[in-house]
Amino acid sequence: MKSRPPIAFIAVFLAPAVILYGIFVLLPAANAFRYSLMRWDGLSDPVWVGFKNFESIFRSGDVFLGALYHNAYLMAVPGAITIALALFFAYTLHRGLVGGRLFRITFFFPNVISSVAISILWILIYSPTGAGLLNNILKSVFHYQHPIPFTQSSRLLTALPPMIVWSATGFYMVLFLAAMENIPETYYEAAKLDGASNSRLFFGITLPLMWDVLTTGVVYMVIGSLKMFDMIWIMENGRPSKDTHTIASLMYSKVFEEYNIGYGSAIAVFLFLLILLATRITFRFMRRERLEY
Amino acid sequence: MVARIGTGLKYAVMLAYLVAVVYPLVWILYTSAKSTQEVYANPFGLPKLLTAPSRANAGPLIENYSNAWIKSQFSSYFVNSVKVVGISLGLILLFSAMAAYVLARFEFRGRGLISTLFLSGLIIPMQLILIPLFFQFSDMGEWLTSALSPLSQRVGLGGLTISFHDSHEGLILIYVAASLPFSVFVLTAFFRTLPEELREAALMDGASEAQVFRTVMMPIAKPGLVTVAIFNFLGLWNEYLFALVFLNNNQLKTLPLGLASVSMQAQYKTDFGLLFAGLVIVMLPTLIVYILLQERLTKGVTLGALKG
Repeated sequence: MKSRPPIAFIAVFLAPAVILYGIFVLLPAANAFRYSLMRWDGLSDPVWVGFKNFESIFRSGDVFLGALYHNAYLMAVPGAITIALALFFAYTLHRGLVGGRLFRITFFFPNVISSVAISILWILIYSPTGAGLLNNILKSVFHYQHPIPFTQSSRLLTALPPMIVWSATGFYMVLFLAAMENIPETYYEAAKLDGASNSRLFFGITLPLMWDVLTTGVVYMVIGSLKMFDMIWIMENGRPSKDTHTIASLMYSKVFEEYNIGYGSAIAVFLFLLILLATRITFRFMRRERLEY
Repeated sequence: MVARIGTGLKYAVMLAYLVAVVYPLVWILYTSAKSTQEVYANPFGLPKLLTAPSRANAGPLIENYSNAWIKSQFSSYFVNSVKVVGISLGLILLFSAMAAYVLARFEFRGRGLISTLFLSGLIIPMQLILIPLFFQFSDMGEWLTSALSPLSQRVGLGGLTISFHDSHEGLILIYVAASLPFSVFVLTAFFRTLPEELREAALMDGASEAQVFRTVMMPIAKPGLVTVAIFNFLGLWNEYLFALVFLNNNQLKTLPLGLASVSMQAQYKTDFGLLFAGLVIVMLPTLIVYILLQERLTKGVTLGALKG
């Protein structure tokens, strides 16, 4: 029985999603490109300036390049630690460990806490006042008498990596663990018969066979750190300095505080292009992945 | 021997990280039962309420939580979050299931294009649409106000203005629209796996297409819907950037936004008891959801990443 497609039914069922998505996602996305080519303060008439906004972003000495560097730093330093820790945890759990379930469930939990709550939790940990956990530990264990203001602007980029590692490691651990569980146990058994050591098993079998997922994980990390906003914004009380801006927080400040909409939109477009590039690299891996429910 | 040292070392690292994850959370929890003076005097120790339980020593606990819940309006932030996220989730599930069902099960012209458009939404970062949406909201408000003014005057509502800024409705529209690509993507894949015979049999029995969807397909699609609901819940419950841009009125703020603004004031006044209690109030619902659903969450972890 092959009936004609019920066109009215199809149209009615598609309409709400297509209309909302068109008006509130696709239209503004297209407008972002338009805005990035204009000089506009949001009130007076916009002026077309071509690629001037992009030129001023990349002019040396501009705050944007500093912000982009902060993104790169927040990608590389905590990123490397997170991925290394996650690989270690995943492999340890994969090879079997008493209490494995408890470790897995606990390590993943910070991933579901809001970044606002994580920032405030760490503001309290880092606090130089009598309430600060870390300064109190320094004082009572190491007899260090002068509280360090870890979260002040000049120190913030050193204070952020532990927060990022704390909140992200569990996610990558679970991602990698799922990939490791897909590796047939027979591979390990065969290698063990040949007398391979534990580290040989990891570098010779596990790592090569989960390479796709590892690459995917790295791309997630890159995209996540490009979008980095909440933690900087909260830790800096909504006033990041040029020493702490990321490109997303700079975009916010330029548009909603300096009313430089063209400049902010150029940042948004650049961010999108970077994400597009990162996604292209990994897309063939993602397509191959099976969905699980 | 070497192997045993290796195992011991592994456990040591795992346990150390376990403490690093759990201790700060436990610390927040028990410190929320201390007054600010008690925090200063005895930063690590358990609150007096636990060491010497008495009605008097419960004072700080009650004060912190009532300060947070009533004076600092966490109750209203909480209700706002439940409302915004609840309505958004309902609409997301309904609209994405409808669209995904049609995209997965029917052949029609334009299907490929619509699928591709939704798929491309997966890589559009929220930051790209943020600025244009801000101005689009102003334009849409003005346009609707003037378009509706003849009507509103006739029904005696002269001067009626419609604004998407600073309203839950505006934020909900964005949340729903921005969540559609992920949700449609997951549900389309799900509906593809369902057997075609189900629909044909129900149609033979005289059911309409809409009835097939509602009474046959939706119940079977429950696992997919639950997955979509969990990831959207976490994403929206924790969402900060859009709430920050589109909600200014303190009465309308959602939990992340409210927590952030209370924190800025509390640090200024060094009211730490309030801050600890506020954090517990914000994290508790997430913890409960996590404990109930962690198995599903960790299974769908690759999906969660797509949600980004």
